[in-house]
Amino acid sequence: MSRTELWESRPLRSKPPESKPRDSKPRKRKGRTLLRMPSVWIALAILLGVAVLTVFGSTLAPQNPLTINANALFQGPGAHHLLGTDYLGRDVLSRLMAGTRLSVLTALEAVGIGLVLGTIPGVATVFLGRGFDFAANRVTDALMTLPYIFFAVAVTAALGNGLVQAMVPVGILLAPFFFRITRAATLEHARAQYVEAAELMGASKLHVVRVHVLRKVLPTIAVTTASMTAAALLAVSFLTFLGIGVQPPAPTWGGVLSSDLDYLNQAPWAPFIPGLLIAVTVGALNALADAFRDRRTPGMLAVPEPLIRTHSTLEPADDDRQSQVA
Amino acid sequence: MTIDNLKSPDLAAPGLTAASRPATALSPDASEVLRLDDLHISVHDGAALAVRGVSLSIRAGEVVGLVGESGSGKTLTCRAALGVLPAGVAVEQGSLSFAGHDLTTLSRRGWESLHGNHIGAVFQDPASYLNPSITVGNQLAEVLRVKLGLSRRAARQRSIELFTSVGLHHPEQVFHQIPAELSGGMLQRVMIAIAICCDPQLLVADEATTALDVTIQAEVIELLRQLREQRGLAVLFVSHDLAVISELCDRVVVFYAGEVVESGPAEEIIERPRHPYTQALLRVASVGDFRRRELQVIGGQPPQVGAEITGCRFAERCPAATAKCRAGDIPPVSVGAQHQVRCVRVHEPQVAGELAAR
Amino acid sequence: MSAAAPAAAQPATPLLAVESLDVVLGRGWRATRVLRGVDLAIEPGEIVGLVGETGSGKTTLARTVLGLVSPAGGRVVFEGTPVSALRGGALRAERRRGHLQLVFQDPLRSLDPDMTVIDIVAEGIRLQGETDRSVIRQRVLGALEKVGLDASVLPRTPGQISGGQRQRVSIARALATEPRLLICDEPVSALDASNRNYILRLLSQLRTALGLSIVIISHDLSSLAGIADRVAVLYRGRIVEDGPVDQVFAAPRHPYTALLMASAPSVRHDRELSPQQVTRTVAEAVALPADLLDSFEDPDACVFATRCAFAAAPCAAQPPLVPAGERHRVACHRHAEWMTLARARTADGRTTEGQLS
Repeated sequence: MSRTELWESRPLRSKPPESKPRDSKPRKRKGRTLLRMPSVWIALAILLGVAVLTVFGSTLAPQNPLTINANALFQGPGAHHLLGTDYLGRDVLSRLMAGTRLSVLTALEAVGIGLVLGTIPGVATVFLGRGFDFAANRVTDALMTLPYIFFAVAVTAALGNGLVQAMVPVGILLAPFFFRITRAATLEHARAQYVEAAELMGASKLHVVRVHVLRKVLPTIAVTTASMTAAALLAVSFLTFLGIGVQPPAPTWGGVLSSDLDYLNQAPWAPFIPGLLIAVTVGALNALADAFRDRRTPGMLAVPEPLIRTHSTLEPADDDRQSQVA
Repeated sequence: MTIDNLKSPDLAAPGLTAASRPATALSPDASEVLRLDDLHISVHDGAALAVRGVSLSIRAGEVVGLVGESGSGKTLTCRAALGVLPAGVAVEQGSLSFAGHDLTTLSRRGWESLHGNHIGAVFQDPASYLNPSITVGNQLAEVLRVKLGLSRRAARQRSIELFTSVGLHHPEQVFHQIPAELSGGMLQRVMIAIAICCDPQLLVADEATTALDVTIQAEVIELLRQLREQRGLAVLFVSHDLAVISELCDRVVVFYAGEVVESGPAEEIIERPRHPYTQALLRVASVGDFRRRELQVIGGQPPQVGAEITGCRFAERCPAATAKCRAGDIPPVSVGAQHQVRCVRVHEPQVAGELAAR
Repeated sequence: MSAAAPAAAQPATPLLAVESLDVVLGRGWRATRVLRGVDLAIEPGEIVGLVGETGSGKTTLARTVLGLVSPAGGRVVFEGTPVSALRGGALRAERRRGHLQLVFQDPLRSLDPDMTVIDIVAEGIRLQGETDRSVIRQRVLGALEKVGLDASVLPRTPGQISGGQRQRVSIARALATEPRLLICDEPVSALDASNRNYILRLLSQLRTALGLSIVIISHDLSSLAGIADRVAVLYRGRIVEDGPVDQVFAAPRHPYTALLMASAPSVRHDRELSPQQVTRTVAEAVALPADLLDSFEDPDACVFATRCAFAAAPCAAQPPLVPAGERHRVACHRHAEWMTLARARTADGRTTEGQLS
């Protein structure tokens, strides 16, 4: 909170007031400000594109992503193949479009698992007592030390080589992040005086969570989900890049990237394309998360900025909505 | 928890009631320490005028109280006198001078040399003005080293002396304590020590006692009285509480909606308030009588900050308002030695009767 | 041990009875005894002021009565039920009855900023199990009307109404469950004089109209000025004086009460005593024998002995609460004589005669 610094000083006289007086209406609600930012628009556009591709990628693809054409290997971007062809003559654009579904859906699968396994205990731990909290924290600590690659390998070895299976350990290992962030946010709100007021009226913990805490924690969870989706997407790409969970010839973003790197000599431009796609999507998710986090003000009053932060604890007189000056 | 076991230093204290307060201790030249002339302060980048035509002066050794509700402009005025107006707030018109030196065009360096050495300040919540991880002794000593160039040892010595003079028990122990270990009253005394450590001529106290327990408040008020006696310190005391002001101040300036509506000697204002708002304030003020009785309120609300109103700004709530009151600007009228009132009906004999009947 | 007040005009069971309450906060070596042997009774329809400075234990007392803190000894009985022994579901059920409510000090913090006024005030009603929306609305409007607010505030959130209105919404929330006893924690400390009087008048009117009992917790007397019937003065965990307001303020029997009165700022400078006449000055402290001074620091000594100008050898033991008038109790060994001594002191605290044992 900014405050007038005691020793801050500047000439007292103002310049003559210029044009119209500034609008003194209260600060606009956060929703509108959010949509004003250009970065949010761009990010939303990118993600909308990705979403469309997830659902309709295969049908929208100009050519069959699996068709092998021995005569058109390593072609650069051209009229027939907008992004060129790969080492088997398959159209890269089509492969990427078709591969979107698998990559994105499995990333969402991991996030979904992490969300459920992380946020529910994260909220509950604040209300279930010290013993549970201690245990949950230690489990979280343990999980956070584990590298997901090895677990993914282990799971695919046990359950079969499928991306769906491989993303389960990724999801489990995302849970600690959800847990910690949700717990911190819940703690902050669970100690509020209005929660105590509700308890004094006989509210159960469930009531408190449902009525007071949940709506304030949701923005934090949403922001975390966006960031974690980005992380999961990267994890998918990396796993498929390594060949884990991939059933050839099904295209995935990471898989395309991997095979491109094998044939760098013949087609040096090739890896940039899937790489850029991954980077742009992850970037859009993070940008959205950042913008949302910077703008949200959970639980704070939408009072207009007082003109002076009076350190007086006095309430201004009634009808002080517009401005408060002591 | 520290029990605030403080007692004021055992010095010859004057009588406590306002009536028996000695004549204002004026320094030999009885010069003006602070003077505000027709001050206008705008807020919201010039959109609204929050303080209008405020004039007041403080002589050396005098305690002047600014009293008014939130939004009345008293804090803005006091911040202007300190040169700490926030962004968007500025002096539009009028002048501000300290011991004859004009302040309105003072540079940052000028203010820095003024702060501490000539003007000290204490505010409401002492804990938020102190670094929580440094001992209070070191915080005071640092100010002494920076402002007066004292050596570490001299600064420490002087700090302990200052702590004693503000009434802190066991000052050597207090020197080594961090703010969290001290009570609110002790912290406020530390702040006062910091404010006066360089012997300023003027101390600005903005709601300095509002957040303190009543027994501690009484002690701090007593401390301020003593500082005035011992050092000839002039004090600008801002408060919403007329009772506190009446305990301490020689002169009172009553603010309403950005204007000064009455100003004069404290005894006069308390015994014979001439402005209807002052009279209303007295009706609601603490009278030290806690028995069951009828409690008064001041009906209505003050106007929006910066509202443009023709005529008297109190007319809407005034029981004696007439068309004449709303006609045009109300200039301050003199009703006694240094006693001014901003009311067109102040000389009409029947007004007093009307107001008494309400 | 406290003596029972004379039974002459006493109703059978008080609304709230605090019996020999001992409360310890913190654990292990940090444990502090915050309340010691506190006895207090509140009758239906009376306004009682509980006055104490920071550290006196007044907030802890309120929290213990409300069940937020468990006592180490003694108990709290509300409407005949020993509520201090309730836990879990039983405690929640008792709270949902809504007969005992708290009005918090700061409405900015105690009202959920994301909820509308109607939901805020209705929360207690809903917790009682009421689901009929029109009944809820009626009851909410009824509660708001009692504090002088109308339906226009219903859809607003706390941030959209003024400070004074927030305070009143906070009171309305407490009134919605039709309580018998309202505990108000520093209800007017943050308000200027006019608003303070307004809220106090409102509380007094509520008492008359609804037969409510009200406990006002405050650090200074002006917060209950004009409306309290009784005042209980708390100092460092003990009740030092407790009696009808008129009696206590006309003739305080405990030096600390006198100190509170002497410290209270007033526009009429007509107080009888100054703070320096009841507190020990530095010079006097120096003049006392060291072991006597040390005995005052003992946890079992009178809680006020470290500050009191009249502390003597007997004050090394905590004085019991003894009757000093109709429903008036005081805990002071020298309650009959200190006032004379005080008046003999000069305004700046110098003694004109030896007054130590």
